[in-house]
Amino acid sequence: MLKAGFLYNFARFGQWHTSLSEQKAFTLCSPDQNFIDIANVALKNRTIQDLPLRSKFISFEELASTKCNMLFITSDTVEAWNIAKPLMQNNIMVVGETDVFIQNGGHIRFFLSSGKIRFEIAPKQLKDAGITMSSKVLRLARVVDR
Amino acid sequence: MKISQRLFWPLLFVCPLVTAEPFEDEDLDLDALMGMDVQVTSAMKRAQSAFDTASSIYVLSKEQITKSGATSVPEALKMVPGLIVRQLDNNQWAISSRGIASRFSSKLLVMIDGQSLYTPKFAAVYWETLNVPLYDIERIEVIRGQGGLLWGSNANNGVINIITKNSIDTRGGYASVTTGNQINADANLRYGGDISNIGSYRVYGHLKDANESKKGVSLTPSDTTKQQSFGIRADFTPNDEWSGLFQGTITHSDLGQNYRGVIDDTNENISFSDGLERTDSRVMARLENRISPDANQMLQISWLKQNGSQKYIKEDFESIDIDYQMNFIYQSLQLDWGLSYRYNSISFEKSVFLDSDKDLDSLQQYGGLIQAQYNFIPNTLDFIIGTKFDHNDLTGWENQPSARLVYKPIENHLVWSALSRSVRTPTLIEFNDNFTVNGTKVIEALGSSTGVTAIDEYRIATFLNGNDDVKSENYTSYELGYRFTDEKWSVDFSTFHTDAKHVAVINLNTHADQFLPALAFFQAGQFQQAALALTTTQIDLDLVSVGATTTNGLDAVISWHPLNTLSTELGYSYTRIDYDLPVGTTPSIGFDSTNRQLFAKANYTLLKNHNIFATLRVENSDAYNTDSYTTLDLTWNYQINPKWSTALSGKNLFAGSHIEYGNTRETYTIPNYIDECITFTIKATF
Repeated sequence: MLKAGFLYNFARFGQWHTSLSEQKAFTLCSPDQNFIDIANVALKNRTIQDLPLRSKFISFEELASTKCNMLFITSDTVEAWNIAKPLMQNNIMVVGETDVFIQNGGHIRFFLSSGKIRFEIAPKQLKDAGITMSSKVLRLARVVDR
Repeated sequence: MKISQRLFWPLLFVCPLVTAEPFEDEDLDLDALMGMDVQVTSAMKRAQSAFDTASSIYVLSKEQITKSGATSVPEALKMVPGLIVRQLDNNQWAISSRGIASRFSSKLLVMIDGQSLYTPKFAAVYWETLNVPLYDIERIEVIRGQGGLLWGSNANNGVINIITKNSIDTRGGYASVTTGNQINADANLRYGGDISNIGSYRVYGHLKDANESKKGVSLTPSDTTKQQSFGIRADFTPNDEWSGLFQGTITHSDLGQNYRGVIDDTNENISFSDGLERTDSRVMARLENRISPDANQMLQISWLKQNGSQKYIKEDFESIDIDYQMNFIYQSLQLDWGLSYRYNSISFEKSVFLDSDKDLDSLQQYGGLIQAQYNFIPNTLDFIIGTKFDHNDLTGWENQPSARLVYKPIENHLVWSALSRSVRTPTLIEFNDNFTVNGTKVIEALGSSTGVTAIDEYRIATFLNGNDDVKSENYTSYELGYRFTDEKWSVDFSTFHTDAKHVAVINLNTHADQFLPALAFFQAGQFQQAALALTTTQIDLDLVSVGATTTNGLDAVISWHPLNTLSTELGYSYTRIDYDLPVGTTPSIGFDSTNRQLFAKANYTLLKNHNIFATLRVENSDAYNTDSYTTLDLTWNYQINPKWSTALSGKNLFAGSHIEYGNTRETYTIPNYIDECITFTIKATF
């Protein structure tokens, strides 16, 4: 649930180079139904840049066709993602929580430090995907330069 | 207000809750999320909150600490409702809760990141040489009353746990300089960064140079401060299962002090000014491991060395602590258990004041704890039971059981109750040492005048004698509490009744027979020989474990958060302590007394970059031989730009020149008048 809160902040402080205003909603996707269930409750009635925040379950087959702004890969779904990731489109912020997630193509990775959630960001990879992260978030992150 | 529920303070329990709830606005703030602890079971479950804790707890947040303008930990503790914080002079403090604060015995356990600062020589903490950079404190958790179970012995009146920030959150530079009418300069510098992508570090330094008080009680004040401190912390997180922490700090202090002692054959306490030089060092390493999503374990090894030197007392104290703890959740049961070992080495050079009977120079303590929490009705009723048992060299095995109940009848309301027993093991002063105290006048010893002034006024050598008949003090406490919280209001109320037995008190032993030779000379009119015979006599104040005390009281705190820019707090605390003493004995610390405190605090951001922080305290107590006083600490914070900020503080306003601690009956201590003080701070981050 805490991670859902972090994802909300990443969405808030991220800047998508292609305009979001043509969209009806800001979509947070995950192939993990458990996470989507939690996010639906935890982030109820939240908005991102005046767009309603929607959490959406996707299967990896839908990855190429679904409009996602952000994708959260949980530890339970990372193996399948490693296979499916060539289907990834641009303009999606990809967040994970497993070791070497960034080396495998992710943009942000959660880790635990003394019982608290912290995160790593690869700003260059994020920029290549068409997203810039605000310095407010980068300041709190461990920046990974790959 | 989120607090740690992790290993080292497992008194704060976890509610095994899997369902998600919508985020409150303030919890969605990135800084708030960073501060939350992930529950032992899963990163997606709820963080533990102070609201659910079955004890009278107050959490002083980092925001309050930085905005208050405090420059030391004791000053920051003045913001905790219900805590007695009295300043003896510009360096020394007496701090406690639910009992009587004293410079030398406050029965309060103080820890930094789980490392105990307890000195076995006497039951207190050297606040004046404790340096923890306030800007890098995550929070201070204060438990009023006994947390005996999991917090070690001697925590009868309360626990203060100072938790410093993980170095991953203090990367970058910080510098601040404070000056004022009492502080010439108080400068801080910190720099932190990453260690590859497995960890982070910070190094910090502190310099302080402060003036003496303006006015003393009997002597010209000499309470100056010159202090230098250096420290380092490193955190490692190679993966989600393992993390490590290492920190070390050294503080050197040159303090001026007025005190009293018997240094010649007049047997009279003489007041004098002296310098006190102390070097305090701490090193701590901790390893944490998530065994599975439902189980954690932790090993912590700490080392503490305190070296103090003044004209008549030289002290060298060292301790090593090894603690192992594990906690796990199985269905509705949470179990915590742990083992601990402590080695103390104490060396006091023989002094004119202090003489040891048994030359005890090392003490060991070992033991374990176990606590189980069972969730009877999900989200509604929890029962917590446990005990701590340990062995020490002075009194053998001690057992400290407790049982607690948490009941949430409806949302936002919580009732808790606790029944607990704690012990305070004797200090070496009580067990092992003889302390030379102000001599007893013949007229006082006899109860009537001899008719010869020189003899009446003669002081008979008098000693406060610790001895190995002194037992552990034994406290049984009954507590009941209620909490309510919603978006704007929160209420925290607790009441307690504590019975203590085997309290160390003083038994006057005049050894009447020893006066017979002097009396014979006196009756024969040989006054000179009578006076000479008196020089061989002595009066013993023996410590005996025969006292009992009853303490009753309550603590109430109401918080009101009407606007995003304004939060306020109103508190009231009441403590009544009564001694039950056998005839011929007197209390060693404190006496029958009532303590009342009224407390108000406001944190107001009036313009975007301007903030006012105010704490008002009304202290009314007959325990300290002082008048009641009202003080206001007021700070204006101005954030000039993201890098630079300033703060202007007025402290101890309203009270004028006042004495906060007048118990000069307590041997050794001489207070000074506490005055209004103005400070100006400039801070930069880079």
